Amino acid sequence: MNPIISVRGLVKHFPVRSRGVLRRQIGDVHAVCGVDFDIYPHETLGLVGESGCGKTTTGRLLLNLLPATAGAVHYRGRDIVPLSRAQMRPLRREMQIVFQDPYASLDPQMTVHELVAEPLRVHGVYRRETVRDLLHTVGLEAGHGNRYAHEFSGGQRQRIGVARALALRPKVLVLDEPVSALDVSVQAGIVNLLEDLQDEFGLSYLFISHDLAVVRHVADRVAVMYLGRIVEIAPVEDLFVRAAHPYTQALISAIPLPDPRKERSRQRIILAGDVPSPVDPPSGCRFRTRCPKFAGQLSDGERRRCAEEAPALTDNGEGHLTACHYAEAMALVQGGADQRGPVTLGTGISAATAADQRR
Amino acid sequence: MTVLLEVDDLTVGFPTEDGLVRAARGVSYQVSRGESVGIVGESGSGKSVTSLAVMGLLPRNARVSGSVRFLGEELLGRSDDQMSKVRGSRIAMVFQDTSTSLNPVYTIGAQIAEAVRAHNAVSQRQAMRRAVELLDVVGIPDPARRAGGYPHEMSGGMRQRVVIAIAMANDPELIIADEPTTALDVTVQAQVLEALAAARRETGAALILITHDLGVIAGHTDRVNVMYAGKLVETGAVDEIFYEPRMPYTLGLLGSLPRIDESGRRRLTPITGSPPSLIDLPPGCPFRPRCPKARDLCREAEPELTPAIGRRHLAACHFHAELASATAEEVFS
Repeated sequence: MNPIISVRGLVKHFPVRSRGVLRRQIGDVHAVCGVDFDIYPHETLGLVGESGCGKTTTGRLLLNLLPATAGAVHYRGRDIVPLSRAQMRPLRREMQIVFQDPYASLDPQMTVHELVAEPLRVHGVYRRETVRDLLHTVGLEAGHGNRYAHEFSGGQRQRIGVARALALRPKVLVLDEPVSALDVSVQAGIVNLLEDLQDEFGLSYLFISHDLAVVRHVADRVAVMYLGRIVEIAPVEDLFVRAAHPYTQALISAIPLPDPRKERSRQRIILAGDVPSPVDPPSGCRFRTRCPKFAGQLSDGERRRCAEEAPALTDNGEGHLTACHYAEAMALVQGGADQRGPVTLGTGISAATAADQRR
Repeated sequence: MTVLLEVDDLTVGFPTEDGLVRAARGVSYQVSRGESVGIVGESGSGKSVTSLAVMGLLPRNARVSGSVRFLGEELLGRSDDQMSKVRGSRIAMVFQDTSTSLNPVYTIGAQIAEAVRAHNAVSQRQAMRRAVELLDVVGIPDPARRAGGYPHEMSGGMRQRVVIAIAMANDPELIIADEPTTALDVTVQAQVLEALAAARRETGAALILITHDLGVIAGHTDRVNVMYAGKLVETGAVDEIFYEPRMPYTLGLLGSLPRIDESGRRRLTPITGSPPSLIDLPPGCPFRPRCPKARDLCREAEPELTPAIGRRHLAACHFHAELASATAEEVFS
């Protein structure tokens, strides 16, 4: 099967300007730095990473909402990066986005009916019944159409946002943290809705989230970003059960499980320090400044390689790609202690943890 | 175990133009020495308001009644001066927003040293050395250099760990942490939670951990209080709450969570509807409009917390016995 979206060498730099009148450009924020991935029809690709890793920018680039600095985004084989706004317009019907904040993304002066009708009107395909059907599809009642967004709870507002995105019968939806602003009891309803809609309309999703539990639940494959680069990309089960990049491993081990017994017996990889500035990212592997493996396991020669040579995403032969010179699969969730690989702790605080566990 | 904190029938209301917002309605719980108690609930459940009341930090217009005793002494109704003797030194607080906890014009070393000297007769120099040690305990890299820096030079996660270091310097008997990791990324959250655990190991302090995150609760508490619509609806040991919940709301919360340790596409079981307005609560059980188990009695009488399993696991549900070994899928779908 051919991918519906194919991203190659995608780069986005934002200029950093000096203060004052001249506002000279004094540097670049390297938000996205050479990202490659594919999304197949009817597939959900999860894109995870922490604040500032470039996942939201990647989502915007995918829809050509931001001009890319370099690289290509092929939609059904055609590169959309060089297209003008007018050329993009027919494609917009097929590629839509749902935003995180259901409070900020809906115009408070429009009724729900008008909100959902807006994209239909823009493309000249408005019909009253279409709006009613859409409201029904996302689990709202026809009577809700006369009300305003502020009269609804967060979960219902997000349903309105989904109805707007679905209005033009898109093929691809970028979901940018679609459930992050919602309470858990409500979040589950939106997750179920998105899964149902995907089955019903054969949609392809780029599901951007910082919440790995939600991503494990919805995604078919997962890409992990760190400082503008994809560090690991794999089928969802493979990623969680055989994470091979030290960053992915730390990320998975850091997520608290709602299960007291498992929590008590879990090993946690605690990273030292903070994410470096994207204005001046580290040379070579960008994760090396916080990497527990770099700090504790590698020889000087091996470390030199991390500092000098940026690791490329390499396939292990089963569609599991990792960008680490010294990648090593590790099981962090599911399975007992015997299945766990060696876990090296970082410096400082984690040493204290290790000592405490021995006690 | 000695009782450290005793909250009894705590009720908090906020008068508004639309009526009285009943943020907390007769909340009672205890915290023993050295114990870690989690308070979990969704937005508007009253979990933060009850702890603000404990610390005497509610706005002036709040109507508060009931009793909050710390080692037998009543805290409610104390003047701000009297309360500030307790706050910081005996009860330390860690909030979501660190900007209110740190002074922007002093170095972080000086702020920790100040707390050290408030409790120990040591020189400025010794206090500074202790400050650097504490920064190391909470996992700040290069602590000696960082001690000379200012709060704005640090990330949110680091600032939160500085707040925890200050709390440790005060050697408190109780730490109240209100959504301490909510705005933080998971790897940073792990650093902050580890710092909090280190603070408890060093000081032996009890902890009240307020959060909406059931994962954080599972790993860091001994007992759990579940709140809904201003009331405690279930309380018990952490394992009881997670493995044998007896209140449909708790069961529903657990069933609605996606988990990283679960493969396959299990259908999540959301709780339909949303929490009631605290101005205009429905009669009877506040969870009734969303509860698939509800029947006539639930409309007529609000259930009180009653023993469900043993004497320490209580649930506010008329039909809690029916939840024995029920799964969220059975009850909610």
